[in-house]
Amino acid sequence: LNTFPKAMPKILLVEDNAMNRDMLSRRLERKGYQVVLAPDGQSGLEMTRAQAPDLILMDMGLPDLDGWEVTRRLKADPATRHVPVIALTAHATSSDREEALEAGCDDFDTKPIDLPHLLAKIEALLSAGAMASTVKTAR
Amino acid sequence: MLASKSLIDWEFSFGPAKSPDDGTTIARPRTVNCPSVTIAPVFTMSQKPSVEEIETYAQGIVDAIRQPLLTLDSTLRIRSANRAFYQVFQFSSEETENRLFYELGNGQWDIAGLRTLLEDIILTGSSFNDFELEQTFPAVGSRVMLLNARKLQTDPHSERLLLAIEDVTQQRRAEADLKAIQEYAQNIVDSVREPLLILDTTLHVQSANCAFYQTFQVSREETEHRLIFELGNGQWDIPVLRALLANEKTVSKSFAFSDFQVEHNFPAIGRRVILLNTRKLQAGQHEGLLVLTMEDVTERRRAEEEVVVAKEAAETANKTKSLFLANMSHELRTPLNAILGYSEMLQEEAVERKLAGEFGADLEKINEAVKHLLTLINDILDFSKIEAGKMDLYLEDFDLIQMMDDVASTIRPMVEKTANTLHLQRAPDLGTIHADQLKVRQALLNLLSNAVKFTHQGDITFEANRESLNGREWIVFRVTDTGIGLGPEQIVKLFRNYSQANASTTRNFGGTGLGLVLTRRYCQMMGGDVTVRSVFGQGSVFTIKLPAIVREAKSQTAAEGAEAVMASNRDSLDGYTALRVVSLPEREEKRATYP
Repeated sequence: LNTFPKAMPKILLVEDNAMNRDMLSRRLERKGYQVVLAPDGQSGLEMTRAQAPDLILMDMGLPDLDGWEVTRRLKADPATRHVPVIALTAHATSSDREEALEAGCDDFDTKPIDLPHLLAKIEALLSAGAMASTVKTAR
Repeated sequence: MLASKSLIDWEFSFGPAKSPDDGTTIARPRTVNCPSVTIAPVFTMSQKPSVEEIETYAQGIVDAIRQPLLTLDSTLRIRSANRAFYQVFQFSSEETENRLFYELGNGQWDIAGLRTLLEDIILTGSSFNDFELEQTFPAVGSRVMLLNARKLQTDPHSERLLLAIEDVTQQRRAEADLKAIQEYAQNIVDSVREPLLILDTTLHVQSANCAFYQTFQVSREETEHRLIFELGNGQWDIPVLRALLANEKTVSKSFAFSDFQVEHNFPAIGRRVILLNTRKLQAGQHEGLLVLTMEDVTERRRAEEEVVVAKEAAETANKTKSLFLANMSHELRTPLNAILGYSEMLQEEAVERKLAGEFGADLEKINEAVKHLLTLINDILDFSKIEAGKMDLYLEDFDLIQMMDDVASTIRPMVEKTANTLHLQRAPDLGTIHADQLKVRQALLNLLSNAVKFTHQGDITFEANRESLNGREWIVFRVTDTGIGLGPEQIVKLFRNYSQANASTTRNFGGTGLGLVLTRRYCQMMGGDVTVRSVFGQGSVFTIKLPAIVREAKSQTAAEGAEAVMASNRDSLDGYTALRVVSLPEREEKRATYP
C-alpha cells in the first residue's frame, strides 16, 4: 500500500459559473493539483463517488441542489464522509459560515478567492487527511 | 325661643287661628312673619290676666323672634320695635320709637314703593306678603329683605301696623350662585362639540346639547323625554348599545364605559364610527342621570387605516429595494470574481514567463480596479442587508493581538504605497473579546483604510486598550492619523449614508461613502459605537468602543450601547480634542459639541 501522500492530490471543484470554474481550475492546476469539475450539485455527488477526490471545493450557491445540501448528503454517506469539503461562498456573512460548518464543511473561504489563503487551507486539510490515513494504515 | 309660662301655654297651628274653648281670647292671633303660621295664646286658668300682663307676654314673644319687627301707627310713626330690629340695624330705642318710619336713620327706610304700600294697608286694612326689597343699609350693607305687613285689629291698638323684616340676602345669593352654576354647566354642555345626551335611569332623554341636535338633525321636541332607542325613527336602537345600557349596572352608581366603539348607519349622517362614553352623574338632585357622549371618529379611523397601509407599502418598498440591491450585488460579483481571478493568473504567468516588466504594471492596475469595485459592491451589499434587517451577529471569542496583526498586515501594502508609517500599540492585558470577528475586522479596516487614504507621508497609529466603565469591560480601538483632518461641517456629515466629506472626495479618494456608516452600524449592533475627533489640517482620531463581551443584539439595543460609550467619552478627552461627534443610533442625527 502507498503510505505516502499522493504526488498530485485530486480536487473536485463544484461550481456552476463556467468562467469561475475555468479560472479556478487552471490556477489550481498551475499549483500542481489534479482538478476534476462538476457544474452542479447532482454531478458533484456523482463525481465524488466516481472520482474519489482528495478534497472538494464546494460553491454553496448552486442552483437546484445547493452546496449545503450536497455537503450534507456527502457527509451522511460512509463512502464519502471522509473527503474534506471547503465551502466557497460569495462575500461571507457570519451566518453563511455558521451554516456551512453546520452542514458539515471542514473549512470555509470566501469569494473572490485569495489564492495563497485558499492554498493554505487546502494543504492543511490534505496533510491532516494524509496523517489520518497514515495512522490508519499503520494499524 | 318660647319658654312655657305658668299662666299661658302657647299653641302653634297652621292655618287660621281658632278661639280657645272658654272664649277668653284677649289677643287676636297675630300674623308673624310667615303668613300661614299663627301663634295664639291659650289661657288655661280661670282668672283673667291683666292688660299689662298680656302686653308683657306679647313683647316677650316679639323680642324673642329673631327677625326684626316694627309696630307702626297710622301715621307710620314707630310705636315699638323688637330686640332683633335694634340689633340688626343698630339703632337705639331713642332713635327709633315715635319717629316716622321713613325718617328713621336719616331716611334709610324712605323707599317710595314701600311707603305707598304701608299707607295702603292703613287705608284698606289689607296686607302684603314677601315684598322683596334690595337696599343698602348703613349698618348691614346691601341686603335683600322680604317684608310682610299686617294691620293689627285689636281694639286698644287700633290703627297699628306690624312690619316683619326677613333678611334673605344669603338665600338670594345662593340661588343666584346656583343659577350661575347651572348656566355655566349648560354653556359647557352646549359648547362641547361632541353630541351629548343626558339620560335618566329609565333611559329617557332628559336633555341634549346643541351638537346633538345639529349632528343628528333632530329638534329638541323630538328628543327630550323620549326613550333613547326611539329617537329619530329608532336610529339609536343599536343592539350593542341596547345590551350595554340594559345591563343592570346602569342603575349602579359606578356605571360607566369608555370609548365603546359603535359602527352604525345613521339616516342623517350615514355610516359612522362612533366612540361612546358614559358617566353617571352623582351630585345631589342629579343622582341617577347618565351622560352619554358620542365622538365621531370615522375620519380618524380612516386616516389611521391609510397610515397603516402607507407604512406597510413603504416598508415593503424598502425591503424590495434592499433585496434588489442584495441580488444585484451578488450578480455583479460573479463576473468580477472571474476578472479578478484571470488578472491574478495573468500576473503570475507574466512573472513566470519573465514578461512582468512589459505587462506587470498594467495587470496590476486591472487588479486594483477590480478589487476596488468589489469593495464598493460589498459595502452596498452589507448596507442593504442591514437595511433589510438581514444582518446577524456571529459571536465568538478571539485573540485581539492576533486579530490586530492580521488587520495590520492586510492594510500594510496600502500604508507602504502612500509612504505612511504604521505604528501598532497593544496593551499587554488586551486578551480576548467576545464579538463578531468579521465585523470587528471590517470596522477596523474601514478606519485604517480611511486613515491611509487621507494621509500622505505621515504616521498612522493603530492602538487598543482594555477599559472599565460602569462595571463593564470595554475594548477601545483608536486609529490616529496625521492626515488632512476634518472640519466641523464634514464631521457632522461623516456618518451619513452615501455622504463623504465633500463631493470631490469621491473622485480623489474613491469609496461609496458607506464605509463609516457600516462601521458605525457594526459597532452599534455589538453594543458599542464609533466616535471621531479631528482638527482640520492636522489629522483625526477615530475611536471604536466595544463591550469586551458582546451580548446578543436583542439583549442590548444600539441606543444603550451608544449611551454607555457617550458616558465613557466624557472622561477620556485629551489635549487633542477639537470636536467630538456622538452618533445617535436609529436616527441619522449627530450632535456636535464644540468645547
